[in-house]
Amino acid sequence: MKILSVDDSKTIRMIVGRSLKNYDCVLCEAANGEEGLAAAASEKPDLIILDITMPVMDGVTMLTKLREDPALKAIPVVMLTAESGRENVAHIARLGVRDYLVKPFKEDELIEKIGRIVNLQPKLVAA
Amino acid sequence: MNSPVLQFPLREWMNSIVPEVFDTMLSLKAAPTPAGSSPHPVSGEQISGAIGIAGETLSGAVYLHLSLPFAREITALLLGSAPGESPAPAEINDLVGEFCNMVSGRLKSSLSDHGAPCAMSPPSIIRGSAFAIEAMPNAIMEKFHFDCLTHRLCVEIHLQPQKP
Repeated sequence: MKILSVDDSKTIRMIVGRSLKNYDCVLCEAANGEEGLAAAASEKPDLIILDITMPVMDGVTMLTKLREDPALKAIPVVMLTAESGRENVAHIARLGVRDYLVKPFKEDELIEKIGRIVNLQPKLVAA
Repeated sequence: MNSPVLQFPLREWMNSIVPEVFDTMLSLKAAPTPAGSSPHPVSGEQISGAIGIAGETLSGAVYLHLSLPFAREITALLLGSAPGESPAPAEINDLVGEFCNMVSGRLKSSLSDHGAPCAMSPPSIIRGSAFAIEAMPNAIMEKFHFDCLTHRLCVEIHLQPQKP
């Protein structure tokens, strides 16, 4: 299981990583949409957690480009953003996202949303 | 001018969202300063997050002002730093920027839902002491103070209605 976190805030990427630390998955990180597209192409993640407001390339542009790419368009995306306006959410929903989590957020809310989309398995602890 | 910005219940909204950010992310209570109390400014060395917002009917900025010791304390708390271990300046900057982003993003969304759609910039950081931010002419400028742990924080909003 591979999950890609795309957020310009290292703090948020750290929280995403901490949320997933007890699960059997690899976390990849990108700090903007351009890096996110490159990471999506090279890493082929099972899920992308995507912010909206980022420098270089924002999350809406990245999502649009992702959906235009036949090799990447099927990757499920969860938006993790402080932006929750009705029109914004409707616009992003039309681009195709599996879920939407508004910042501030609790780590267990994030895990719940991820767990509805991919099969998160607890990490096996060596006896 | 009958601008949606002028109708927006800024204080009520701010007194809801700022405590929500601190409670959700840090399990800390950030209480609005009681009405009638004299809100002293954030003193000493401070760090501020700044985010610009702009749309057809408004422009402005959101600032989150914290004392540096408070910013250091909450960054260590969020990162789970070991006792006595101080977060790096970049980590503190990132947290302050992100908290400012959470407040600004929610404000932007609420303004959009109130008929004033706008976009916002990524956060920038200001460090220093005893600085003040001058408002643009005709801008609405409001400061909202909160007490958290033993510290005071301030959210400063500048909004300038534009003729559509």
